[in-house]
Amino acid sequence: MTHSSPPASAEVLLEVQGLKKSYGGHQVLKGIDLTVTRADVFSIIGPNGCGKSTFLRCLNLLENYQEGRVLLRGEVASEGRPEGHHPSRAEEQRSRQLRQKVGMVFQQFNLFPHLSVLQNVLIGPRKVLHRRREEAEAIAEKMLRKVGLLEKAHANPLTLSGGQQQRVAIARALAMDPDIVLFDEATSALDPVLTNEVLRVIKDLVYSDGMTMLLITHDMDFAREISDQVLFMEQGRIAVQGTPDYIFRERPTQSLREFLEPDAITTRTP
Amino acid sequence: MPHAARSLLLGVVLVLSAATARGQGQPTTLERIKQTGVLRWGADPSGGAPFCFNNPRDPHQVVGFEIELMALLARRMGVRPELVRGDWNSLIPSMEAGRIDVVLNGLEINEKRKDAVLFSTPYFRFAQQLSIRARDRDRYRNLDDLKGKKIAVLKGSAAEDLLLSQGWTKDEIIGFDDSLKPYDVLKHRRVEGVLCESIIANYYAGTDSRILILPATFDPGEYALALRKTDPDLLVEINRHLEDLKKSGELGELYQRWDLWNDQQEELGIVKGRPQPVDPLAHRVSGLNGETLLQIGKELLEGAGYTLLLTAVSMPLALLFGLGLALLTRARRWWWRLPAQIYIQIIRGTPLLVQVFVIYFSLPYLDEVLDLGGWLVWPELAVGILCLSANYAAYEAEIHRAGLEAVPRGQREAALALGMTERQAFLYVIFPQSFRIILPPVINDLVSMLKDSCIVSVIGVGELLYVAQSIGKSTFMHAQMLLAAAFLYLVMSMAADFLGKRLEARLKQSGTTPVAGHAPRH
Repeated sequence: MTHSSPPASAEVLLEVQGLKKSYGGHQVLKGIDLTVTRADVFSIIGPNGCGKSTFLRCLNLLENYQEGRVLLRGEVASEGRPEGHHPSRAEEQRSRQLRQKVGMVFQQFNLFPHLSVLQNVLIGPRKVLHRRREEAEAIAEKMLRKVGLLEKAHANPLTLSGGQQQRVAIARALAMDPDIVLFDEATSALDPVLTNEVLRVIKDLVYSDGMTMLLITHDMDFAREISDQVLFMEQGRIAVQGTPDYIFRERPTQSLREFLEPDAITTRTP
Repeated sequence: MPHAARSLLLGVVLVLSAATARGQGQPTTLERIKQTGVLRWGADPSGGAPFCFNNPRDPHQVVGFEIELMALLARRMGVRPELVRGDWNSLIPSMEAGRIDVVLNGLEINEKRKDAVLFSTPYFRFAQQLSIRARDRDRYRNLDDLKGKKIAVLKGSAAEDLLLSQGWTKDEIIGFDDSLKPYDVLKHRRVEGVLCESIIANYYAGTDSRILILPATFDPGEYALALRKTDPDLLVEINRHLEDLKKSGELGELYQRWDLWNDQQEELGIVKGRPQPVDPLAHRVSGLNGETLLQIGKELLEGAGYTLLLTAVSMPLALLFGLGLALLTRARRWWWRLPAQIYIQIIRGTPLLVQVFVIYFSLPYLDEVLDLGGWLVWPELAVGILCLSANYAAYEAEIHRAGLEAVPRGQREAALALGMTERQAFLYVIFPQSFRIILPPVINDLVSMLKDSCIVSVIGVGELLYVAQSIGKSTFMHAQMLLAAAFLYLVMSMAADFLGKRLEARLKQSGTTPVAGHAPRH
């Protein structure tokens, strides 16, 4: 795989065209273009404040953006709106359809503490996809088995370790049968041991299920191992894009080299 | 009722009167009474014997010579009398507001009232009468013999004015709030006489051998029914039947049964009729037997049941209204936020008592103005529930708001990221968590609502305090009844608190602590 464009035969899943976003007068995303084909794994790296989290949140419309558009399987899924724009019913409907197809895993897990582990996973299929109870339960159990937590199905999520909670959150996202999953610093809140169990689950998704995903990570070894493409973001732009080899071995720009300095990384990792 | 409440009532009525304008073509009160076959009349059963009071042997039953008079009158008119209970001071405002058609409850004809209401022909003539200890019969033969001595009266009564005008000083006049106390202090030699309306003297002291009621009377007055100024046709009808009752001897016989008959009644044109035995209810009964105590206990428990019902219905409604208000205050548009904020400010900034009166009296006015044909004239219990829930909604709104804000932002995002609508996210994710957070303050409010519910007794809702007070008045065990009521309130509060804590604990088991706060991004 080259760093320029994906093979023509692969199905294009997600296309981002000229996405720009501002808070007040301050532009945080300055025009992002990206094409993701099926089974692609993209890692997004970059210093804090470079806009990677905001970018991910724009993709499933947890944040609005002002210019550009996002296409899902060739269809326009969302478009830039002026700041303060109140979405119409049709627009809301469309953003919900987008979110159903774009799963999200958060840094803080955001499990629903009033529901059991199983209920956390089945609530999406049940309430959003309107599956029957037994059907939703079957989906949830399958996903929990995949992340290795079926035996915790009836536990309260808050009684689980951070790594287990994040695995439940992954199962919750997978239960919606998404085309693509976004991981927003999924392991940043975890210690190294717990990080590994989450990373194992993510790897398993990549190698056995061929899941398409975009990950924000500070773990360069992991990014190098798992990614098809790595995006280095800087000041609201994708500064460098390429294969892990290109990014980590060739280190084409000065700022990327500075970012990848080990001592710089340690000070920047929360 | 406290004085402030009385002037408040007047204010409410004055404000609302401005809004009354009977539409053309609407049936008159008389036509409506004939149509529905129901005459709604107002009286205060806690006001006292022998007018209209709770039977001390069976507090469930309201008895009194006015009850019987109204029964006779209604039968003549061919309609059914419906007693609407209310605090005595609120009877005329209630009539003005259209909740009742007439007031029949020891209402003395005077010039001031004539400005506000129509009076029927009088049905009873009363006067002030002096009572002394029986053993003093040779020392005191008339009021003048008591010059300079202490005399007990009912506070604010005509007797008080009479004594002041006859040269008694304020220190020599001992005022009491209830009718029994003056006779008690007389027997205990703390005063030398009691000056009271003859009808009350007769009921409380008529059978007491230690007390002598002197035959001389002063300062006569007359009782009559009060009607709205706009109902002259009803007045004609009532006067006609009242005259019939006077002439036929029916009224005279009624007064004999209640031991109220005297020659003065003949001056009103009342015929004495055939001699009648005196009803045992016509005089105060002293002492209670076990059966009566059992009955009183049952009554109090029934009142407590009403208190529970009021709270059990009002609190969920308050939580629901409050949630609506809380959501409005969080709305993006100011025209949603502003009305909710104004509502909360007004409710929280005014006393519940005032709100109860305003709602109670404005509903019928609103009904008339909007021409809804009685749709808004709710029974007292429903008005009580409305008042309590409308009041508590403002407080619950603030609690809801705090609870919703305490749910981490990431919870909503996680729900939306699954493709839920905002509504689903609220219903399945945010609200269940905020509900667990607000449960302790809500239980606290539930307990205080149990006690606040007694305020709706002023509009005659038969809840615990109302029952306790009216039994207290009819059995002369006021303090005991209030203590009994307080005890029941305490039991109910503790039970509510206990159940609430258990619910809290159960929800805690299924997880209440919100997840770690949302980390700042970028």
